[in-house]
Amino acid sequence: MSESVLDVNHLFWQVDNKTILADIHFSLPKGQMLGLIGPNGAGKSSLLRCLYRYIVPTSGDIEIFSKPISEYSSKLLAQNIAVVQQDTPHYFDMTTEQLVAMGLTPHKGLFDSNTAQDRERVVSALTKVGLQQKAQQQYELLSGGEKQRALIARAIVQQPHILILDEPTNHLDIRYQIQILELVKSLGISVIASIHDLNLASAMCDKLLLLDQGRLIAKGTPTEVLTERQISEVFGVCCDINLHPQHGKPLISYFYGYQPSPKGCPDHD
Amino acid sequence: MIDASQRRYYVCFSLLVLATLLTPIFAASFGAANIHLNDVLMIFNTLLGGDMPSAIDGSEHAVTITQRIVLELRLPRILLAFVAGAGLSIAGSVLQTVTRNPLADPYLFGISSGASFGAVLVVSLFSQTGLFAEMFSGVLTIAPSFTAQPWWSWSTLSIPIGAFIGASLSVLVVFMLSGPGRSSQVERMLLSGVATSFLFGALTSLLLYFSTPQAAASVLFWSLGSFAKASWSNLLLPSVTVGVSLLVMLAFRRQIMALQAGDETAHTLGINVAKLRLSMLLLCSLITAMLVATCGGIGFVGLMIPHTVRLLFSGRQPMILTAMLGGLFMVWIDVIARCILFNQELPVGIITAALGSVFFLFILRQRR
Repeated sequence: MSESVLDVNHLFWQVDNKTILADIHFSLPKGQMLGLIGPNGAGKSSLLRCLYRYIVPTSGDIEIFSKPISEYSSKLLAQNIAVVQQDTPHYFDMTTEQLVAMGLTPHKGLFDSNTAQDRERVVSALTKVGLQQKAQQQYELLSGGEKQRALIARAIVQQPHILILDEPTNHLDIRYQIQILELVKSLGISVIASIHDLNLASAMCDKLLLLDQGRLIAKGTPTEVLTERQISEVFGVCCDINLHPQHGKPLISYFYGYQPSPKGCPDHD
Repeated sequence: MIDASQRRYYVCFSLLVLATLLTPIFAASFGAANIHLNDVLMIFNTLLGGDMPSAIDGSEHAVTITQRIVLELRLPRILLAFVAGAGLSIAGSVLQTVTRNPLADPYLFGISSGASFGAVLVVSLFSQTGLFAEMFSGVLTIAPSFTAQPWWSWSTLSIPIGAFIGASLSVLVVFMLSGPGRSSQVERMLLSGVATSFLFGALTSLLLYFSTPQAAASVLFWSLGSFAKASWSNLLLPSVTVGVSLLVMLAFRRQIMALQAGDETAHTLGINVAKLRLSMLLLCSLITAMLVATCGGIGFVGLMIPHTVRLLFSGRQPMILTAMLGGLFMVWIDVIARCILFNQELPVGIITAALGSVFFLFILRQRR
């Protein structure tokens, strides 16, 4: 059993007596990739925001390296966790290189300037995501996939122990969906990513968390989590599950034109 | 790795440094009294330890008069204009970044009018008790007084303090009107700023209505903005404020830059967003208050200079360059103000407002 970098226990978050997150608990082993799945409004983004302390939960413990995150300073937390957000915000004029260099922020003192080593780190991160040619281009003018990769390059420069990705593959074509997750996996950092595409999550993640209406429905390996019953209950679609010919993890085929009845989905053989 | 934009930055930087060094000499030769550039050079030469060539045109007396005009009137005035331009520019630049509002400016956000109100309130409150009657005339008269006041006295500090309270109050009002968490709504924030500006403008007018005509006239002249009452003693406070603020902004330049990318992103980069934004806003009100207290309301500089710099160097926040460009701009605008009318000077605020409103329309057009 490898050591865990992140532990979450009894996490609750309520707003105006409405429970958004209820009794979430999981842990992230070092170097693993944890996928967060669930329908829209399940609380995936809220959970991730709790992890990087943008939201302070009503109750529960979140620990990084066995130390509660409330004991981390803003700067120290940013040295441990990097985040790639779902919607890329609007930056008024900044080149890709400048955006990536922003990842240095939590590592810098007040009057520190960028050293040759820092610049090297930025260049190597840009090379890793394949954007070295676009370094001087305006970030706003990049394509969706390039923007996403630039944000990942910024996270690489931040040198975190944990990388949080909120729907990193949204709006990307299939080539970039695979490329970005493989890139993230190759970094060797512990990763938590919310992913909409269940087949992609199945293929790329070591473990999955299935959320529905703020509750944790299932956690475990893709084979344990992605069952026909759980998918029909949580997502309200019928499907058939086979093993993927290449990696042997679950491969989901959805059925069209069915509404799952209370008794579940009809059998298809 | 020196690319084109890097090279352009160094070239511009060197040019600006050169201009900053030469400007006092050239700017000092303009004004009501006709002083030749050679005389100015000679006076500067004397200052730097060189020998004063004994009376070129024979008149010892004329030399000392010229010397006094340059050293006691024009030089502090040039320096004050430089400090004011630099301060307003960096305040504008930081305001635009931390509010993510490209139209933010101390003047448009109502900070200047808040500061004016605070200053006028202090003046009218205390001048009526007679306690500050002397100061009232001292601060608000057009002609510069040679009787130098010490900078630390209560009477010299009370106006800047009043201005700072007024300025902070207006920042608070703007934020309350534009609503929390909605700071990204550019137009809403701008409207709140304009409303605040009118509010404090009305309050200032009310105060003026109940004061004497002479006081009203001098307050009016002062509120239009002028460097005419610059002296070595009232130069210190604004210079220290702007200098220290510039240092603080340089220290936090990464954090300020990161705010540009949105609150949540800044948070994930280890920044305490609410605290940083509030402190930067207060710092901007401090700069504005100090400058309004010393040289009145000078608008649009905080809008024009940062935008010009941004056009030249997209994405960077060259704070020092912004400060230098703003300072130089102000010095030469002041030269125009001194020379454009025969025997009379124009308040600089009028010139900057005229230029600025055109510039403002230009930005609005561009944003569409």
